[in-house]
Amino acid sequence: MPLLELRGVASYYGSVQALKDVSLSVQAGEVVTLLGANGAGKSSTLRTISGLLRPARGEVWFDGRPIHAMSPEKIVRLGISHVPEGRRIFPGLTVRENIMLGTSNRRRLAKKQMEDEVAGMFEIFPAIKPFENALGWTLSGGQQQMLAVARGLMAKPKLLLLDEPSLGLAPVIVQQLFATIREIHRRGTTILLVEQNANMALSVADRGYVLETGVMKVEGTPAELLGNEEVRAAYLGGHG
Amino acid sequence: MSTPSPETPRARRLSPWPFVILAAAVAAALLPYYANVSHFVLSIFMQATTYAIAVLGMVVVLGYAGQINLAQAAFFGFGAYGVALGTVSYGLSFWVSLAIGTCVAGLAGGILGLTTLRLGGHYLAMITISFQQIFDLVAVNWIEVTHGPDGIAGIPRPSLLGHELSDDRAYLLLCAGVLYALIVAVWYLPRTRLGRAMRGVRENELAAEVVGVHTLRTKVIAFTMSAALGGIGGGLYAGGFAYISPDNFNFQRAIEFLSMVLLGGAQSPFGGALGTTLLILLPEWLKEMPPSLQFIKDVYLVIYGLAVILIMVFMPEGIWGLLRNAWAKVSRVVPVDTAGVEPLNLDITVTETTPLLRLEGLQKHFGGLKAVDGVDLEVKRGTVHALIGPNGSGKTTTLNVVNGIYKPTGGRIIIDGIDVSQKPPHERAAHGLGRTFQNIRLFPSMSALENVIVGAQRDNNPIGRGGNALRARAMSALEFVGLADKAGTIVRSLPYGHQRLVEIARALAGHPKLLLLDEPAAGLNQTEKMELVELLKKLRSGHGLTIFLIDHDMGLVEKVSDRISVLNFGRKIADGTPQEVLHHPDVIAAYLGDANAAA
Repeated sequence: MPLLELRGVASYYGSVQALKDVSLSVQAGEVVTLLGANGAGKSSTLRTISGLLRPARGEVWFDGRPIHAMSPEKIVRLGISHVPEGRRIFPGLTVRENIMLGTSNRRRLAKKQMEDEVAGMFEIFPAIKPFENALGWTLSGGQQQMLAVARGLMAKPKLLLLDEPSLGLAPVIVQQLFATIREIHRRGTTILLVEQNANMALSVADRGYVLETGVMKVEGTPAELLGNEEVRAAYLGGHG
Repeated sequence: MSTPSPETPRARRLSPWPFVILAAAVAAALLPYYANVSHFVLSIFMQATTYAIAVLGMVVVLGYAGQINLAQAAFFGFGAYGVALGTVSYGLSFWVSLAIGTCVAGLAGGILGLTTLRLGGHYLAMITISFQQIFDLVAVNWIEVTHGPDGIAGIPRPSLLGHELSDDRAYLLLCAGVLYALIVAVWYLPRTRLGRAMRGVRENELAAEVVGVHTLRTKVIAFTMSAALGGIGGGLYAGGFAYISPDNFNFQRAIEFLSMVLLGGAQSPFGGALGTTLLILLPEWLKEMPPSLQFIKDVYLVIYGLAVILIMVFMPEGIWGLLRNAWAKVSRVVPVDTAGVEPLNLDITVTETTPLLRLEGLQKHFGGLKAVDGVDLEVKRGTVHALIGPNGSGKTTTLNVVNGIYKPTGGRIIIDGIDVSQKPPHERAAHGLGRTFQNIRLFPSMSALENVIVGAQRDNNPIGRGGNALRARAMSALEFVGLADKAGTIVRSLPYGHQRLVEIARALAGHPKLLLLDEPAAGLNQTEKMELVELLKKLRSGHGLTIFLIDHDMGLVEKVSDRISVLNFGRKIADGTPQEVLHHPDVIAAYLGDANAAA
């Protein structure tokens, strides 16, 4: 049984249809990536899984139970952590407080363990360590992105939804970030990744899906997707 | 350029006929009953029409410009006292008194609007409350002039074109006519240059300022118009009821005006009028309950309050907003006509050979943090110049200082020979500076076309000022970025990548000399990035436009840039051609890392 399964999901923003027919599955322990053009419905798929968008049709199953009618809070407590695109940090809290708030889904967390895990995040993202006690809004755009990812990782989820984690990060940081994604995957976290840098995403993924205007078009291993002419032309920059 | 060819997509002609027909229909339906209406009903409607005029002011300041105003009762009072004192104490004519009261109200509103230079949000709410309280205190205590709590009685009604309007029926017709004319005017406002500027301020004040809207002036005008509408309403109210006292103009009345506009829908004058009518009729209706429901009379304020809360929770855009959204769901979206869109003209005559942008020892410190620490940099005319560096190295701060969002701590910014270091962003926009933001700053509830028109209407734009010219320019800019078919779409519902393109189109519509792009490729996939590269090359080729951009995608930077500067810890560590810079050991160590893996 897959950890996560979407069956024929359709979602709307008001009267605009974002997803028409999306089915996908993620096995426990996999890294799966979603590819597609802007507006294809990648972010909407993640929002539907985490409960921010209620599907009009279809079902979402997680860990053996349907979750498509649950509130986002409940879904978080079941073990799904969503790092949305666009740096949604708490501007008036310090960097350390922002990171610690990532654990709000975890009950009875020892103070010592929390301290250790926060220190671990600063090891992954040393660039924000000097701003530990600075307020969130004072960070630059890229630093805020690191903070948002660090906060999401603190949830220790069964399933991590990452929406464009490399957005606005310097190349050297992007390499570190993907090394980190490999590392948390090795430690047992299942990851569903939306990423515009398709080559990078496929380098860490076990499987990938291609979305096109709200419909799941192609599924395959990185090798299959990289070998698919149509996919290459549309999303991987042709011969790039 | 100001005379559009017949093919130019024209602004949808806003025909006055629907309003004339609506007025005629309502008049024809009601007139037969009008002679039999009781004086009680007439006085309720006199209250409703005069209040509604004041509430139209709330539509302008709150609904359009997004500024909180809890002093509308005071402006209503200026108009009322203007008429009362003018006619009773000084023997002036009603019309002269009304004009004086309205002008004083508008002046007071403008002064209140000036406080928005430094204050917004809850501070502005506090200031307007204080202003309202001061008005109340003066009206009660300056007895020699205002007659204090006793109020002023015996206010006469005017005559119009030789007709005495002393009769209730005739006077109510006057009030209704004035209300209707003002509803029509307020209805047209959002479609004008000023109205678009107001909505831009409401949606994203920083972005509005940067694309060339004089945001402070816009807010002051919004407050002035709001207050003047309050004054007109108050003046007619004084004439209607012949008696006024300070408790007609206290803080509670200001809150009622706020409730009325929120209930009806702050985005439309019809919403404002609707909310006013409902909130005036509701208490009357509750008071008219049969004896078995007498208890309602005792708790009617509670019911009234609950009704307002429930409506606000379930219809945050008010009744009008609910109706409009329902209509939007059933009506077909009319696609914007894209026929006859002219190619975008971006030509800049380059005669000078001096650098277009020069930074001299530029510094920006935030407390102890030296975000930008003595940067010297030159951007040559007609080139693409990239600024790269690690996260937090001061790139966006540099851009923010260049376009005036931050004042520099030290150093100078010279654009096209002029030192702009101390100028506000909208003046720099008028000087030919355009930009996009890292975390897209559009006007989310306006259409793509309206967003781009706001960019086109900056001061000194060589395309001219007329509505058709602005619209044609905006359509050309949207066509240029490939989104002409999305012109009518509300930008909030566009995907991320398209929002980026709308932002670029908004900047291009202002016909800039210098375009600042902050991470234009962020959030685009490989194919879209290649399209962006083509777009940037198209922008550069032979138009004379100069581009200064930040991005982390080295593939893109290498393809489009003539020159690259590198920042680290607020200082420039390298400067040169892409070849030189991308192989510089310091740059590789600080920024690129293992270059192969980054590709």
